[in-house]
Amino acid sequence: MKQIIKIVLSLAVLIAMGLFLFMPDSKPPNDGKIRLKYWMVSAMKEQPFHVTEFNRTHENIIVEPTPLPWNEHEKKILTSILSENPPDLVFLVTPVAKWATRLALTPLDDLIKRDSFDSTIFFSALWSEMRFKDNIYALPLYSNSYAFFFNKKLFREAGLDPENPPKTWDDVLEYSSWLIKKDEKGNFKQMGFIPTYGNVQTSIIMAWELGAQILSIDGAKVNLTNQPTIEAFNWTVNFYSQFNIKDVSTFIAGFGFAEQHGFISEKIAMMVLDNSFPDQIKLYNKNLDYGVAEIPTFKGYAPVSSTGSWWLAIPRGAKNKEAAWEFMKFAVQKNIQLTEAERQKALLFPSNKLTANNPAFLSLNESNKIFVDLLEHSKTPTVVPLVHDVFWREYMGAQERVVHKIQSPFDALKQAEKTIQIHLDETIEYDNYVRSQVSIK
Amino acid sequence: MIHFKINKFNKQQAVFGILFMMPWFIGFIIFGLYPMIMSIYYSLCRYDVLRIPQFIGFGNYEKLIFEDPYFWISISNTLVYTVLRVPLCIIGSLLLAVLVNNAVRGVKFFRTIYFIPSIVTGVVLSVVWLWMFNPQFGLINSFLAYMGIPGPLWLLDPNWSKPSMVLMSVWSIGGGRMLVFLAALQGVPKHLFEAVDIDGGGWWAKFKNITIPMLSPVIFLWSVLEIIFSLQVFVEAYIMTQGGPLNSTMFYNLYLYNKAFNDFEMGYASALAWLLLVISLIITVIQFRLSKRWVHYDGVTK
Repeated sequence: MKQIIKIVLSLAVLIAMGLFLFMPDSKPPNDGKIRLKYWMVSAMKEQPFHVTEFNRTHENIIVEPTPLPWNEHEKKILTSILSENPPDLVFLVTPVAKWATRLALTPLDDLIKRDSFDSTIFFSALWSEMRFKDNIYALPLYSNSYAFFFNKKLFREAGLDPENPPKTWDDVLEYSSWLIKKDEKGNFKQMGFIPTYGNVQTSIIMAWELGAQILSIDGAKVNLTNQPTIEAFNWTVNFYSQFNIKDVSTFIAGFGFAEQHGFISEKIAMMVLDNSFPDQIKLYNKNLDYGVAEIPTFKGYAPVSSTGSWWLAIPRGAKNKEAAWEFMKFAVQKNIQLTEAERQKALLFPSNKLTANNPAFLSLNESNKIFVDLLEHSKTPTVVPLVHDVFWREYMGAQERVVHKIQSPFDALKQAEKTIQIHLDETIEYDNYVRSQVSIK
Repeated sequence: MIHFKINKFNKQQAVFGILFMMPWFIGFIIFGLYPMIMSIYYSLCRYDVLRIPQFIGFGNYEKLIFEDPYFWISISNTLVYTVLRVPLCIIGSLLLAVLVNNAVRGVKFFRTIYFIPSIVTGVVLSVVWLWMFNPQFGLINSFLAYMGIPGPLWLLDPNWSKPSMVLMSVWSIGGGRMLVFLAALQGVPKHLFEAVDIDGGGWWAKFKNITIPMLSPVIFLWSVLEIIFSLQVFVEAYIMTQGGPLNSTMFYNLYLYNKAFNDFEMGYASALAWLLLVISLIITVIQFRLSKRWVHYDGVTK
C-alpha cells in the first residue's frame, strides 16, 4: 500500500511539473479591447509619444510596448515567430530585406492599396528600403542623417577661417595637415580628420558621390571593383600614407563615448557625424565652439549623405494585423512625429518629409536644416540587402587591409567582392528554393 | 560475474530508479539529444531557422574546407592560441602550487590571494583587460612607459593580439587548476623526498624525479582539459576585439557564433560545430596515445 502511495505521489509531482510547461499566459481582462504587443529595440525609459498618444485617442486598442535589448532582439523576435507567438508589431533598424527574405514579415501592399496610403510623405531613400522584391513590408518611423562637423576653436588656433569649412575632400586633406598637434615624444595630441574613425565610413560616402553602383539592378551581382569605390579607397590610402598607422591607432584607442568621444573631447577637428551630436555636445561639452556644414565632395560632384531607417512592421503570424496597421499609420503622421521630435529633442529624425521640413522642426536645432537637406540626397548603408552583414564585414576588412598596406585597393576590394558574391549567390539560391516549396501569401 | 535475482523488491527499486531518472532523461532527450541529432542533419542543409532547410549533402563541409578562407584563418588562430596558452597555464599553475605548498608563515593568505582573481567571470575579466591593454591610457603601457619602454599596441596590433589574450589567462593560474595541483602535491609521500635526500639530491632532482612523475596524471588531465578549453576560446575575442584586427583574433568559436547568430547560417554553423568536435577528438586521442610514455599512475608500471 505504502509503495502505491509513493508511486502515485511521485507521478503527481511529475505531472504537476509537466503542467507548468503548458500553463497559458496570464489572460488580460476581458473588456473587448485589442491589446497590441509592440516590441521595440530601444533603450527609452518612458513610453514614446506615438504610443501614449495612440492609447489616449483610441478606445478599443491598447498598445503595450516592450523594449528589447539591442544585442538580443534578433534572436528574441525570430524565436517568437518560430513558436507562432509573435508580437503584433516590431520596431527595428536592420535592413527590411533581411527579414522579408526570411518570410518573417507580413506584406503590407493590400492594406496600402485599400487605404490609398500616401507613401510620398517619406524620404525616398527610406521608402525604397521598405521594399523587397515586389512587396512593401514596413513603414519607416525614424531616420538619421549625417553632416560635416568642424571645431571652430581648433580652426582658429591653426590659423584657418572658422567660417569657411572645407568644401572638397582635397581641402579636408589640406586642412587636416594644419590641424595636427603632437607632444614632445611625437605622439598625436590632436588630429584634423581620420577617415576610419566614426560610425559612418567616409569611403562609402565618397564612392557614392562619385556614382558607385555596387549592386546590379536585379540585386544579383556585386561590383566592388568599380572605379568610384577604388577611387575612394585611394583617397584613404593617400591619407594614411602621411602617417604611421600605429600612431593613428594609438591615438584612436584613447577615445570612447560621451565626453571621451574624439570630436566632443576636441581631439579631432573634423568629423562626419549624425544628427544626435548637437544634443550630445550640449550634454557633454557645452562650450564646444563648432559648426555643421554639408559633407565635402570631390570637385564637381554633388554631396551625398548616409541615412538609416528605424521601421515598423507586422511579423508573420501576428494576430492583430488590422489594429497593428492602424497604429503604424498613426505613428508616421506629421503631427505625431513633430511632437515626438520636440519631446526627445530630435535625437531620432522623423521619416516624414512634411515633419522634417516643418519650420517648427527646423527651429528645434540650428543644424537641422543641413541635416534635412542632406537627407534628400542620402543613400542607405543597406548596400547589399540580402547579405548586409557579410557586405559590411568584408568591406571593413578590405579597408583595414588597405590601411595596413597589406593589399592594394583593387586587390582588397576584389577579395571582398568574391566573398560577398558567394554569399549572395547562395542566399538567392536558398530563397528561390524556399519560394518554390512554400506558397507565399 | 554477479547475478542479480530479480525479485519483487528489486523490481520496485528499478521502477523508482527509472522514475527518478526520468526528469533528467526527458530533459536530456529534449534539450540534449534531439538538438544534437538535428544539428547533424542541419549541417547537411542550408538553414536559417525561419525557413525550411534545403538539403545540400556535404556542401557545407566542402565549402568549409576548400573555399572558405576564414575557416583556415580561424583554425590557425585557435591553434596558435592553444599552443601558446596551454603550456603557460599548466606550468604557471604548477609552479604556483609548488610555491604555496611550502610551509611558510601566512601561506593560507597567499593561497587565497592567488585564488581570488579566478572568481572573476570572463566578461568582466575581458572588460578589465581591455582597459589594461589600452595603448594610450592602459595600466600596462603606462607602467612600461614609466620604465622607459615603449609599449606595443596590444589588442590593436595583429602581431600582438593573440599573445595579449594568452597573457590574460595568466590571471587565472591561481584558480582551480592550482588547487588540484596543490592537493596532488600534498598527496606525494614524504618518504620519496627523503630517499632523494639520502641519495644527496637537491631540489631540482626532487622536482624532476619525484614531483613531476607523481603529478603526471594530474598534469595529463589538465593538458587534455586545457586544450579543449582553448579550442573553445570565445568570450575574450567576442568582448574585446570581435575578431580583429585583420582577423588575427577570429577564433573558431567566434566564427561559428558569427555564422550562426549574425548571418543565421545555422546549417553552416552546425557543420563548423561538428568539425570542431572531430578536431578536439583527434587531439585528445593523440594525447591519450602519447600519455602512455610519460604518465605514471600510482605504483603501476607499464
